[in-house]
Amino acid sequence: MARSYSTVKAGFSSVFGPVLSVVSKPISSVGGIFDSYFNVVGAKKENKELREKYEKLYVENQKLVETERENVRLRKLLEFVQKRPNTMIAASVVGEDLKNWFRCVIIDKGSKHNIRQKMPVVTPKGIVGQVVEVDLWHAKVMVLNDTNSSVDVSVEGKNTRGLLEGTGQNTVKMKYVTKNDDIEIGDKLVTSGKDGIYPKGIPVGIVITVNKNKAGIFTDIDVMPYNNFRQLDEVLLVRK
Amino acid sequence: MRTALYTFIAILLLLIETVISPHVSLDVLKPELGIPVMLYVTFFLGAGPGLASAVCIGLAEEGLSGAPNGSLLFVTIVIYLIAAVMRRKYFVDSKYTFAYFSSGSVIVQSGLFAALTFFAHGETRGILNIAFYMVPNAIITGFASILLFSFIDRLNNILLEKS
Repeated sequence: MARSYSTVKAGFSSVFGPVLSVVSKPISSVGGIFDSYFNVVGAKKENKELREKYEKLYVENQKLVETERENVRLRKLLEFVQKRPNTMIAASVVGEDLKNWFRCVIIDKGSKHNIRQKMPVVTPKGIVGQVVEVDLWHAKVMVLNDTNSSVDVSVEGKNTRGLLEGTGQNTVKMKYVTKNDDIEIGDKLVTSGKDGIYPKGIPVGIVITVNKNKAGIFTDIDVMPYNNFRQLDEVLLVRK
Repeated sequence: MRTALYTFIAILLLLIETVISPHVSLDVLKPELGIPVMLYVTFFLGAGPGLASAVCIGLAEEGLSGAPNGSLLFVTIVIYLIAAVMRRKYFVDSKYTFAYFSSGSVIVQSGLFAALTFFAHGETRGILNIAFYMVPNAIITGFASILLFSFIDRLNNILLEKS
């Protein structure tokens, strides 16, 4: 009896075997899908978390770099102010002229902070321009490269003087320098203090081209200002 | 009500442009955002509301620019007058026609301002600078005005449906 049961069972088993293997294949593959699905979901979740973490750290890192830059900038500004105590008012640039015809920036200090028209505006690098309009809370500063700007300058260590005029572009022109005046490429320009607006000796820029072959009595001179007027963040207003 | 709202939007856009400008290193990316709104108001809401809008936008532009007092207001009002005459003859049927008008108005604005600079100051330095930016300004304003037109037109339809 027991023997015949074993035979029947073995027969069934031998039938089930191939069926099991046939059925188990899709099941195991489905199981694999489920496994890999759950793995993928887990990996996706982990990936998302890691990405978020990375982005957060990246933003924090960028903030740190920016803070470091700001720190360096403000330290230079502070050193510059400490050399001339009670003569400077610090201000931040909050906007730029709406029209690209003018080179003008808007600062966050106005008549309420004792800002007056024609006040010279500088940075530790050099001259920026002068205040042209003052509201209660804000003031407009005409930048050196505005077409309406003129500054009386002299060449550092030489007797040469001229008038620096804005062109609306990045470089400015030094005018009324005669051909027999002593000036060459690389000369540093400072304010002469004779225009009644800018104090004497503030750095302005560096001579980049000198053309004496032009017709007329004056030399054609291009000057690159020390300041990049498109990257102004903080400026100092000089009290007269 | 609609005139006040659109003019307010224009002034808000001008303020945003002023604040964003120092962070964008391209000078040519300064679209004229006030005049397209003034044109929209003049063409679609009437000459009276257009004048109110022109005065407000002109004053706002002057407040955010280093332009001499009264100059931008004068130029904006002249463009308004041209638009007020044109609205009797032409119909703005699409945002693209509107873009042409906006670009054209920027050219007129630059020309008028250059003439004003020449006759008031008697100098040509500023004129070259204005001429240099005239075409880029017109192109960028044309593109910006397509977006502005779509936005204000949608807002206009919503407000009309509500009323």
